[in-house]
Amino acid sequence: MDFDPYPDRRVVGTARVPNGPQRTAPPVPVKIIVAGGFGVGKTTTVGAISEISPLTTEAEMTMEGVGVDDPGQASGKTTTTIAMDFGCVTIDQTLKLYLFGTPGQTRFAFMWDDLVRGALGALVVVDTTRIDDCYPAVDYFERAGLPFVVGVNTFNGQLGYNLDEVRWALAVRDDVPIVQFDARFRGSVRDALLVVLDQALDKAMKMRS
Amino acid sequence: MRHPADPDDPEHPAAPGVRPYLRNTGTGARYQPAPPSAPPPGPPPGEQTTSLRPFVLTSGRVDGLDPNIGLETQVSSHPGALSARLSPEQRAIVHLCGEPLSVAEISARLRMHLGVTRILVGDLRAAGHLDVHVLENDFPDPETIMRVIRGLRSIS
Repeated sequence: MDFDPYPDRRVVGTARVPNGPQRTAPPVPVKIIVAGGFGVGKTTTVGAISEISPLTTEAEMTMEGVGVDDPGQASGKTTTTIAMDFGCVTIDQTLKLYLFGTPGQTRFAFMWDDLVRGALGALVVVDTTRIDDCYPAVDYFERAGLPFVVGVNTFNGQLGYNLDEVRWALAVRDDVPIVQFDARFRGSVRDALLVVLDQALDKAMKMRS
Repeated sequence: MRHPADPDDPEHPAAPGVRPYLRNTGTGARYQPAPPSAPPPGPPPGEQTTSLRPFVLTSGRVDGLDPNIGLETQVSSHPGALSARLSPEQRAIVHLCGEPLSVAEISARLRMHLGVTRILVGDLRAAGHLDVHVLENDFPDPETIMRVIRGLRSIS
């Protein structure tokens, strides 16, 4: 479908896009969210599988952050800029997977509504030494009905707790998979994402039937 | 003779009426109070940015976003849009989108705030300079997901 409300504009031949008259049909974008606290390995996760080195985009943090990220009395600042990393994997010419790494704290929740819209699912990256960082993300995804998987990042292959203990600590439902992976390795990240996709497929099948 | 290097030395008190830091010690930067006729000072603290504030680019709008313009939404420019009269930021977007590009990529490559990018993309679409490829269904269908699964599995 290539609806063109200004067909006569195409006559202006001098301003054609570089690739000639055949305009590339855009790929269908799908996305998976990679959530988690600061320093748990979100950017590493995205970078391990992305075909581009992770790009960073900025969004304004508004009143939601006031009182949490207090910039001090002398500052008249009411907004703070947060960064979000993303990468992509081209499945084929018509399908492209985007990965968005987003901070998992409550004060960033204002942007989760945008992120979750149309998302296949989420991988919540957990560092077992700071497990509480991911509670808000888990809460949010549960309420939003977004399929998600808890991925315990094994720094240097070390896992401080076994997965049952992590499940107990997070108090997630039994049908939420908890996997361990190493954010530095492509194959490991791929396998974790495949678990997310399995969950997404389950949801899509249920929606269809 | 006084010791210029040690104005606080009690043995060599500072010259009366001249504060120690105002004495010319020969080398180094010397404090000079701004003369009354100094040129107007720079912007007040907190305003010392070299770039435009985001709301300038969006003509003051901070909301009214089209919720269909998501981060991953693909955007491509119309042939002919480059000859239109556009702001530098809008022109940059049009330039970038000869090939379809996601909103997040536009934001990252132009170092433009995500919210600003979304507003400008919405404007450019309304003006007929951009195609914004909005998906019909909110959640991908099983076939699409299966294709993603197969595609990821083939990654080694």
